[in-house]
This record gives sequence, structure tokens and C-alpha cells, in this order.
Amino acid sequence: MAVAAFSSDWAKLFKDEVNKSSVYKSAGKGWKWTVGLVVEAEPDKKFPEARGVVMDLFDGEARDITVGTASDAQKCDFVITAPYSRWKQVATKELDATKGMLQGKLKLKGDLPTIVRYTKASQEMTECTTRIDVAWPDEK
Amino acid sequence: MLGGLIEANVESRKEKQHDFQTLVAKVGIWVTDIKEGVTLDFQGGTLVVHTGLKPKRRLTIRTDAETVMNLSNLKIGLLGLPVYYDEVGRGVAFKLLQGKLRIDGLLANIATLNTVTRIFSVQ
Repeated sequence: MAVAAFSSDWAKLFKDEVNKSSVYKSAGKGWKWTVGLVVEAEPDKKFPEARGVVMDLFDGEARDITVGTASDAQKCDFVITAPYSRWKQVATKELDATKGMLQGKLKLKGDLPTIVRYTKASQEMTECTTRIDVAWPDEK
Repeated sequence: MLGGLIEANVESRKEKQHDFQTLVAKVGIWVTDIKEGVTLDFQGGTLVVHTGLKPKRRLTIRTDAETVMNLSNLKIGLLGLPVYYDEVGRGVAFKLLQGKLRIDGLLANIATLNTVTRIFSVQ
């Protein structure tokens, strides 16, 4: 059954997918920082308020993934910001996250060399999001 | 992002500062799968990033987004040369052989390419 996009149920499934992934477990070894995803509001897409996904990632494991406010996510060591529709494109493989960052479609804050070093881990996390059956608000 | 990456690399790694201070060259990077590119204008201690490919480039790297990221993950080994025998390096070398990574101006500017690779590398 589909879960609402960027909801607490979605966060739980996302965490489970990340922790099931042997690719992430290997690629994420040594990572010890929090990552925040800021999902900017797009009221015309039925996503009226910004949300923040806070990911506590450590050494190849997702210790916790929660959904809160945008400011919660902005306190993380690394912050990636994009509007709701952009995140939807990433989650549905319409936009590759790496290309998105290079094009400036996903705004990245944090130590760039570190995040580039872990490109494979971030690619696998994107793959994990595509494995979740999501109900998108603009498709209701 | 590429300009920011180089800036962060140079600021955080002393060993890259000498390369950055001495490099004078225009290097183009064209990302084939997004059809966008930049010209990195290294001016001996300053970097100006231009959108698109500007004239009088010494080197032009043409490849996909994933390979651009892999180039920055190349390890630097003995004598400051990129390592092409590990997984990342083999992948980059293979792309070069397949023609999926093209470096215009490579043969005449190998030293410049090695310097740029060292500055670009996050390893």
C-alpha cells in the first residue's frame, strides 16, 4: 500500500530500505554526519508546507530517518534543498541526483569534497527511495 | 558545484595549494548527458568559473555526470600521478578507452591534466 510522500510512514520505509541495502552498507562506510533534505513547498502541487527529512547516517547504517520541519533539516551537517516536484523527479528516477547537483537543481550545503567522496552512497540512497510505493499529493 | 569543490579542496588540503598557485590554464568540462559545461579559468592562485565552453582552452573534458564525479574520486599516487589501477581509476580508464570520456588536448598537455586532476581529487 502506498504511503504519503515525505510522511513519517515514508521515512520509516526509507530507513528500512537503506538498512536492507548491502550496497549502501559498503558505500556508506566511514560516513558519520547527519543529512537534511529540505522539501520546499509548492502549494500549486498540493504540497503546501515545506518539510525536512533528517537522516542520522553513520558508518553505512541509517540510525534514524525522521520527517519534521525544514528548519530541523537545515541544522544537519549536510543539507540538500529542492522544491517538492524536484524531489519527486529524483524519487521517480526522472532526475538523477548527481546531475541535479551538478546543474544546481538540488542545492547542496556542506563540505563538498566529503559528499563527492561518498557519491556512490548517495546514489544508492536515491535508489532506495525509488523502491518505496509513494502516494504523491499532486497525483490525487 | 565544480568551482565550489575545487575551492573547498584547495582550502582544506595544503598539498593542493602549490598546484593551484602555479596552474595557469583554461580547462573546459562538458557534461554530455546534461548538455551543460563550464570553463575553469585557473589564473595562478585564482579560479574563475565561466558558464559554457570559452575559447582558448588548453584541455576540454567531455563526459557524463557520473564520470565527472568519478574523476574527482581518483586517488593520487606516486609522483602526484592519478591512480588508474583501483576500481575508480579502472572505470575512468575504461571510459577513456570506450570513447565515453574524451579529453581534447590530452597528448600535448598531460602535465596540466595531472595538475588539474590533483586539484580536483577529493581523495
